[in-house]
Amino acid sequence: MRETLANRTLTYGLLGLFVLMVAVPLFWMVTTALKPNKDLYEDFSYFPRRPTLEHFVRVIERDELLTNIRNSLVVGLTTTAVTVVVSALTAFSIVRYRYRGREWIGRVILFKYLLPSAMLFVPLYAIVTSLGLGNTLKSLMLTYLSFTVPFCTWMLMGYFRSIPPELEEHAMVDGCSKIGAMIRILLPLSAPGLVASAIFSFTLAWNEFLLALVFTVDQSTMTVPIKLSMMVVGDQYIWGQLMAGAILASIPIAILYFIGQRFVVQGLAAGAVKG
Amino acid sequence: MAMRQRSLTVDVPIPETVPRRPWRRVDREQLVGKAMLLPTVLILVGLVLYPFVYSIWLSFSDKTIGSAGRFVGLANFRYVIAWPQFSTALLNTVVFTVCAVAIKLVLGMVVALVLNQQIRGRNFFRAFLLLPWVMPAFVVYLVWRWLFDPLSGLINYALLDLGILKTPVAFLSERSTAMASVIVAHSWRAFPFFAISFLAGMQTIAQELYDSAQVDGASRWQQFRHVTLPGLYQIIGVVLLLSTIWTANAFEPVYLLTGGGPSDATMVYTLLAYVAGMVNLRLGEAAAISTLFLPLLVGLVLAVTILLHKKAEA
Repeated sequence: MRETLANRTLTYGLLGLFVLMVAVPLFWMVTTALKPNKDLYEDFSYFPRRPTLEHFVRVIERDELLTNIRNSLVVGLTTTAVTVVVSALTAFSIVRYRYRGREWIGRVILFKYLLPSAMLFVPLYAIVTSLGLGNTLKSLMLTYLSFTVPFCTWMLMGYFRSIPPELEEHAMVDGCSKIGAMIRILLPLSAPGLVASAIFSFTLAWNEFLLALVFTVDQSTMTVPIKLSMMVVGDQYIWGQLMAGAILASIPIAILYFIGQRFVVQGLAAGAVKG
Repeated sequence: MAMRQRSLTVDVPIPETVPRRPWRRVDREQLVGKAMLLPTVLILVGLVLYPFVYSIWLSFSDKTIGSAGRFVGLANFRYVIAWPQFSTALLNTVVFTVCAVAIKLVLGMVVALVLNQQIRGRNFFRAFLLLPWVMPAFVVYLVWRWLFDPLSGLINYALLDLGILKTPVAFLSERSTAMASVIVAHSWRAFPFFAISFLAGMQTIAQELYDSAQVDGASRWQQFRHVTLPGLYQIIGVVLLLSTIWTANAFEPVYLLTGGGPSDATMVYTLLAYVAGMVNLRLGEAAAISTLFLPLLVGLVLAVTILLHKKAEA
């Protein structure tokens, strides 16, 4: 396609604008965490002149953010492990077995994935307290399954459908059981989809805000997002620590994104909310 | 059989040669298949269906935490509807949703069009512009709260520096700017979802269509209007519906940026339900607020469910 000069200028001009639009808040997050308080509140500068790690030290030592990071990790990893196993079984059952009501369950699963938790936090709160799980990490591990399992099942259904069943049928002709064929043939072939669903369920659990806000009330059970949101109202000159905390909270997600980008794109293309 | 043929991508019709198995084996197999569904069914019943029904019961009761709650008929609904805060929240939810979705749609489309050009380093820019969507939402809103800070925030400093403002503006705590600021922060976070979905759609449109449009002398705008847009109709529909659901139910942007203030200028219905249930401790009223939004939401969700299901089966 031939491109006119005006067109190219417009394209790159807009691209530059968008990059700037995304970069400035990110730049500000990082540099705020690195500037001493004096440079944040008195002696303003666009670039850090005396970079320091004191905010990271303070958010870890004084605000004990590591406790909250540990809470978030425990909830995220448990939720992810349970989700991947349960979703893989369910998706396998729906895609590879034939019984009545199968498609219907698929539909309910998608419906639930789309139903926001804002609709359910009040009854879930009442249920969690009546089970004696109020203010525990268990309440989060349990209730997070209500959105991670539907999402990952829906994604894996798409993935499993894209793999021809003939491969498993051949294995079964050779004497493999149906479950054996799933473990030896389908799951290894679906590895990218499984990785993607693990990444998504961890991310969903790590970022979840409303239920964690409602269910947990003290430092020993708070996850990272709740802890940071509590710090906002606590103190006025808190922004250095908050941005340091925000960076620490973004690191696991950033790592997963960069490791998993390939898998996530593949997994998304096969199932889920295909663009 | 229908299922099996559909999942294949080959054009050759598959002869039905799979041998019939003895009924016992089929029966056992079905049982195993259903058994594998059990955990998910338990989760759906225990954590979705039951709370859903329970929520509707709650909205007809005066339950608080610690008390059992009696049936009070429509009292909660009457109270909530007469509550001035509820009308404010309803209006704000609509304003927030409509404005934010419109901005995300336009911005997402322009970004997708730019990324769809032949530019150097396209993969890098695509990954980079996706960052706001990848970052945890709570991180994004905390960063924007700091950007909007009236005393030391970057936006005030920059605008004063450039001479656009004479005095600092408390963007998040003035009635005239609070809602707009929340919308800006939310749009920044969520536009990449639109962009990436539209971009994926644009890449499935055949180049020949553009070539023949060019031969016919179509301008850039005409190509967009008559080739790109029609090719994207379905994706635009799905993305708009999904985003409307998510935006109308957003809690974090408002809770983390303004807490619903100043004097309810940014109060949306999710936050109002939170305040009624968790701050005022009146679960019945909180449930009534959610229940009032239920018909609209279920309608939207059903629409997307049907659209996506059709697509998945196609």
